[in-house]
Amino acid sequence: MIIGTKKQFSLFDLVNVVIISFFVILCLVPFLHIIAISLSSNAPIISGKVTIYPLELSFDAYTRVLSDISMIRSLIFTIALTVGFTIFSMIMTTMVAYPLTNPKLKGRQTFMYIIIFTMFFSGGLIPEYLLMKSLGILDTTSVLILPGLISPFYMIIMITFFKATIPSSLNEAAEIDGCSYFGILFRIVLPLSTPVLATLSLFYAVARWNGFRDALFYITDQSLYPLQLKLYQLVMNNMVNEALLAEGMNLGVQLLPESLKAASIMFATVPILIAYPWLQRYFVSGLTLGSVKG
Amino acid sequence: MMYKNSYLYRYWQLYLMLIIPLAYFFIFKYGPIYGVIIAFKDYNLFKGINASAWVGLDVFRDVFGMKGFYTALRNTFLLNGLDLVFAFPAPIILAVLLNELRSAKFKKLSQTVLYLPHFISWVIIGGLVYQVFATKAGIVNLVLAKIGLGPFPFLADKYYWLFTYVSIGIWQSIGWGSIIYLAAMTGINKELYDAADVDGASRFRRIWHITIPGISTTIIVLLILKIGDMVDIGFDRPFIIGNVIVRDFSDVLSTFIYRIGLQTGQFSNATAVGLFQAVVGLIFILGANYIAKKTTGDGIV
Amino acid sequence: MKQILPKKKALQKTALLLISMIMLFTLVIGCSNNNTANTANTPAPSETTKDSDKKTEAPKERVTLKVEVFDRGNSPDGMTVTDNLMTKYIQENFGDPNNIDVEFVAVPRSEEINQLNVLMAAGTAPDVIFSYNAGAIYNFATQGGLTDLTDIIKEHGPNLQSYLADSLQYGVFDGVQYSMVARRVHLQKYISLIRQDWLDKLKLPVPTTTQETYDTLVAFKDNKLGGDQTIPLGFALAPDSYEPIIWSFIKEQSDEARYLRSVTIGSREYPILMDGHKEGIQFLNKLYNEGLMDPDFALDVDRKRKQEQIVNGHVGMYSEDAVSSYWNDTSIAMTLEKNVPGANLTPFLPWTDFEGKNRQPSYTPSGMHIAVPVFSERAVEAVKYVDWMAQDEVIQYMAFGDEGVHHTIVDGFPVNNASDEAKKLLYNSGDMLIVTNGIDFGSMEKNIESTVLPVIEKHRELAKQARINSMKDSVQQPIQFDKPLESEAKHSVIMLDKYHELLVKSTMAKPADFDKTYEAALKDFMDTAGTEVINERTALYNAMKK
Repeated sequence: MIIGTKKQFSLFDLVNVVIISFFVILCLVPFLHIIAISLSSNAPIISGKVTIYPLELSFDAYTRVLSDISMIRSLIFTIALTVGFTIFSMIMTTMVAYPLTNPKLKGRQTFMYIIIFTMFFSGGLIPEYLLMKSLGILDTTSVLILPGLISPFYMIIMITFFKATIPSSLNEAAEIDGCSYFGILFRIVLPLSTPVLATLSLFYAVARWNGFRDALFYITDQSLYPLQLKLYQLVMNNMVNEALLAEGMNLGVQLLPESLKAASIMFATVPILIAYPWLQRYFVSGLTLGSVKG
Repeated sequence: MMYKNSYLYRYWQLYLMLIIPLAYFFIFKYGPIYGVIIAFKDYNLFKGINASAWVGLDVFRDVFGMKGFYTALRNTFLLNGLDLVFAFPAPIILAVLLNELRSAKFKKLSQTVLYLPHFISWVIIGGLVYQVFATKAGIVNLVLAKIGLGPFPFLADKYYWLFTYVSIGIWQSIGWGSIIYLAAMTGINKELYDAADVDGASRFRRIWHITIPGISTTIIVLLILKIGDMVDIGFDRPFIIGNVIVRDFSDVLSTFIYRIGLQTGQFSNATAVGLFQAVVGLIFILGANYIAKKTTGDGIV
Repeated sequence: MKQILPKKKALQKTALLLISMIMLFTLVIGCSNNNTANTANTPAPSETTKDSDKKTEAPKERVTLKVEVFDRGNSPDGMTVTDNLMTKYIQENFGDPNNIDVEFVAVPRSEEINQLNVLMAAGTAPDVIFSYNAGAIYNFATQGGLTDLTDIIKEHGPNLQSYLADSLQYGVFDGVQYSMVARRVHLQKYISLIRQDWLDKLKLPVPTTTQETYDTLVAFKDNKLGGDQTIPLGFALAPDSYEPIIWSFIKEQSDEARYLRSVTIGSREYPILMDGHKEGIQFLNKLYNEGLMDPDFALDVDRKRKQEQIVNGHVGMYSEDAVSSYWNDTSIAMTLEKNVPGANLTPFLPWTDFEGKNRQPSYTPSGMHIAVPVFSERAVEAVKYVDWMAQDEVIQYMAFGDEGVHHTIVDGFPVNNASDEAKKLLYNSGDMLIVTNGIDFGSMEKNIESTVLPVIEKHRELAKQARINSMKDSVQQPIQFDKPLESEAKHSVIMLDKYHELLVKSTMAKPADFDKTYEAALKDFMDTAGTEVINERTALYNAMKK
């Protein structure tokens, strides 16, 4: 029976919109502030006058950032790296999550414990560095992909979702029919799981995009610097701190204006912001269960 | 024998799928794990891990004997506990509210904006915190002054600071955290909602009886994972939002390690604390998992 | 039949999956291989000149010297910190004549200690490493990780011995020369500035003693010259705010007092147990409780708030690092003048001690520590490199390039002409010219002159006066032991934290509670790290005296 979709716009709905709007503003304002700084001139910035709109409008900062070829190259590299990493990670995570969803798999619990153990114990910076060195992947793209390939946290989420969306009757039916597990995976499980696949792809992509600590220690070739690393260097190297003062020759060092820092932040952040809206279309349930049953 | 054959025959594909990922874990996660031995050695960079002198539990004695350790430990639990009570449910509530929005456009727009804070690095946030929360000149206090309240020492009193710490944490993660719950909600059978409408159920009842149970597994799993994280705490938020005045509460294990360890090359100390956290964290998560399975049947293992 | 087909399909699917994964994998490895191939081709162009050189050079074996270089992420297009005009100059003028391939290894400036630790542990650190952190260098030395350079310098380092005569001693630990210490040219640490226009309005003279300064602060407050938000004394939780004040209260100046009753944190000396320290903090407490400084100063660690308050005209006077408010047209002074017409800042000396002197901290003439890892086989070449660099012509070129092309002579001083050429050659000259921090023109007056050349015309004299001020009655800090202290290196971060707690809590306490708060915080400082450090200092001092 189809019920008329016109419902009353209730008080609940009103309060809902108000609350959410409040949060939206709260989340938007700091961003507007950074944008405003990136488009302002130096004097109002250091006087602390810039709030959420630019003062003494200036596109200087963006001109400088966009004409810096190394930034553009880094952007392209980072995009390629993020896409490649996400694909690779998702494949691997799926490959480990799907078998572990099956309660009949022998050794399942052992495998889970082995993996969960790695969530807590790690060797630390130096043994990890030595490992990368002995694998010969220092200063290569691989070192930015391989070490973080599977996140146990995300794997657990994927398993949880698989368990929730795939009724066990399906597995049994498939086994009886002699359908292969690969088949079940590709033709049934994955199409039904687009929300979790989209979500985890987003998580992996954002993690790779925002992450730079690994590159900091493993990469010295500047053409392999992820964008966030370049940004981090920009910000850190331009804060007047202990280190800078110790150098004593800062007289020639022109600290970058705040607007340039802000413009660089926007440059390094905006591309990844596009990811979520783009992936949102996958946040609808896959084929309805009805068509799968029977 | 026949049974064995047919077991492998049936499941070999699953094992095949597992091979490469497990290889990954062994190489990249278990490979460097020998590094925890540093906690039991007087680590000399140049002798290497093996040749460095073995000191047994001395490092642990040393670290546990430090005044700051127990304060840092207590604060870690305090801040994480507050996060668990206030910041854990926040994205769930937001996801529910978003799900109830009538306008798809508004929903999409809000979602896109709400997760922006997640992308602002803590260094930047640090620069904004003062402007917002300063006692006299901060924006919040200025606004409150207009309606006759305050000024409140959001950053200058350690109890108020707890509020500030948790609030900023919520602000930063509420949008991002809601994504996963929204994804889970897409898996709820629409027919249930339709049936509820037929029965004339109110909004709250819909939420309480359909939406929440529909994502309960997700909530429990994330809760277990969060509990496993209780003894671990990020470095950035306490370090950046903390200050000298509220040190009593803002010093946590991560900032403690930073002070006594890495900056001064004290790898053994840092490793020892890390090892302590790992053991405690593992106990917590296994404990939480056990309880969850016993009470709700859901768990992560 | 039905059984077989699915099996075949399964096999096909598996094969497809494996193949696609292998393809992806090779793609990734392939990309990285390209990059490694590229990086292998880009280090010093010495690789390409090697062959031509081989024919003409002496029959000695060609070796590679790896030198650390800071990467600040600011290389011009087409260049990297490991391959640019300066690296070429070095290769041509030092490398080739000595049969050495000079290779540079980039280390990000912001993580230098961590990175250095990792490279030392992995045994892949360059032959020439450096750091401003003496404690870190000493750490390496005590673990047996650095080469003893004493004899090598005697034999191969005549130039550097004379050029670094004043600073080499700072690299001697336990009688062994572990590092070559660069020369630090500019010793000025702090300057103080006051709103001359406010003084004029109140018809007050520039204060020259602590008492006069205090009275002036009160006058500023009473007259609200900066509006309702007047902050007579601009103050942040940073050494450049508190050091000048605290040191002016210290009543003990002997070396012994400094050895036994101060602690060294980083590059600063904290006279925490010296006579007068408590009075200094008590003075801050007085200023705070009388509303003469910003009540939120404890939150201002990066000094941004202080700067904002200054440029908006609320602040009457302040101290700061000698990297001063006087600079180019976007400087603090210029912004202030823009925001508040008629405002102007004058340098002055506000704090006098019990003898009427201005005793101020200044830097020791020691800069960066340059060392050689013990596992390096190029110690001799490393010393030769620094020795070569310690020559006037080399320093001149590496700092300024060629006249007319990269710089012009202004009033007898070379000034970078901000051309593209100059940028390409000299953008990181400070990081390449490791043998000195700052350029020495022969005398302090000349050096100060050189630092104020880039300052905007109307502030130049003021900037100069400010720097001259900061050397008055100055005391070089920190005082040196035979070697850095283990306990100080270990507790440096904690001590700074605890000291700041002491300062903040005592300053913000009610005057009646001051004693109680100060003593409790001091006890906390001593219990956490202070006692251990003082004990080690005492022991070392006694050993030195023998």
